[in-house]
Amino acid sequence: MSNLVGVVDYGVAGNIPSITKALVTAGADVTIVKNAAQLEQVDKIVLPGVGSFSDAMVELQKSGLMTALKEHVTIKPTLGICLGMQILAKVGFEYGESEGLGVFNGEVRPVICHGQVPHMGFNNINVLNGTPLLNGLENEAFYFMHSFEVVNYTDVIALTDYCGHTFVSAINKGMTYGVQFHPEKSREAGIQLFRNFIALEMN
Amino acid sequence: MKTRIIAKLDAKPPYIVKPVHFEGLRKIGRPDELAERYYMQGADEIMYIDIVASLYQREILYKHIEEAGKDIYIPFAVGGGVRSVEDFSKLFHSGADKVVINTHAVQNDPEIISRASRVFGAQAVVVNIEAKKWDNWWECYTDCGRIRSGRNVLEWVEEVEKLGAGEIVVQSVDKDGRKRGFDIELIKQVVEKVDIPVVAASGAGKLEDILDVIKKAKPNAVAVSSVLHYDITTIGQLKAFLTEHGVEVAK
Repeated sequence: MSNLVGVVDYGVAGNIPSITKALVTAGADVTIVKNAAQLEQVDKIVLPGVGSFSDAMVELQKSGLMTALKEHVTIKPTLGICLGMQILAKVGFEYGESEGLGVFNGEVRPVICHGQVPHMGFNNINVLNGTPLLNGLENEAFYFMHSFEVVNYTDVIALTDYCGHTFVSAINKGMTYGVQFHPEKSREAGIQLFRNFIALEMN
Repeated sequence: MKTRIIAKLDAKPPYIVKPVHFEGLRKIGRPDELAERYYMQGADEIMYIDIVASLYQREILYKHIEEAGKDIYIPFAVGGGVRSVEDFSKLFHSGADKVVINTHAVQNDPEIISRASRVFGAQAVVVNIEAKKWDNWWECYTDCGRIRSGRNVLEWVEEVEKLGAGEIVVQSVDKDGRKRGFDIELIKQVVEKVDIPVVAASGAGKLEDILDVIKKAKPNAVAVSSVLHYDITTIGQLKAFLTEHGVEVAK
């Protein structure tokens, strides 16, 4: 059975080399996906992303990946990382209001708390609902590097506390997963999360 | 909040060096070996700065950056000689997660901070400050502590925050490489001035110096180099020491 992981390159993601390297270390076969035809060929999808919500959506429109992603991310195991998680929500408010891929019923808002923003550094996750993605990772710390968060109440699988503020650090609905932290920057815990992702069963 | 411990590598490619007072370079080792060693010791981040790129006005040497970042699974911040948004882009493709900028932003083009922040996000734009203390103010220096800018550090940090920087590294021209403790007053004032994370750098000579700056100035992170290069401590020992004294760190 083929198990090819496609890392989506939509122009704004600068961290593709780090993500690819960590996925390969975790044992994945990885290919870079830049258009709809390439997306057809992969079994699993990783949506990376650094930069802003609005720029990301513009790039996805331009490359024609928007429509294809909306279809594929719900039928193939998909992992959104940081901005890649955020654009799976319905709507974002970074540099103006823009429509997301709409898998998660929620919006993306700035982190407002009593600490410094961006939230930067290792922090714990508090797993609420056991999912295969977070198996064995209940007490681990992961690296966060973000100024925005997904506001959602129905699909939360993990929360994180930061300076008196609690936000969604992992989310799941059907085949689609999102993590606000960076597994590729979280030492062995991150590699283990990628192993769990690679082992997820397909439809 | 967990205080981050960053291992800082000053590069004069192909070697990592340690400047004393920003001058008198001593050769320490190879970038990839040192990055991996400090990763294995438990560093929360690696910061690699090509300290002569701006001074020599030469192109960034991407090959050494790719090598240094190849075996580490923690954030990798890279700087030295960054002059354009394209440079940011090329560094990300060489494995950097954050880009550190100083000279070009201070001397020529502060707006590069907002352009890069717009494209890559605030979290990816780190502004490095080389502060020189005068009687009652600190001045921003550039080119590895050689050139005066006339800018007041406390005004500049406010400006870079407004421009969209995601993090500020505070180095002290007076303390760097001396191993006699941090400029705590400087770091404290910067932390109080801005709402973005501040990294305290320059001056750690013993474990107590690092504890002292964390307790008194409350930075988000501390960057260390001499204490690691000269085997005064390891990151593991440092983290154990900090935990013992009530500072929360990642394991």
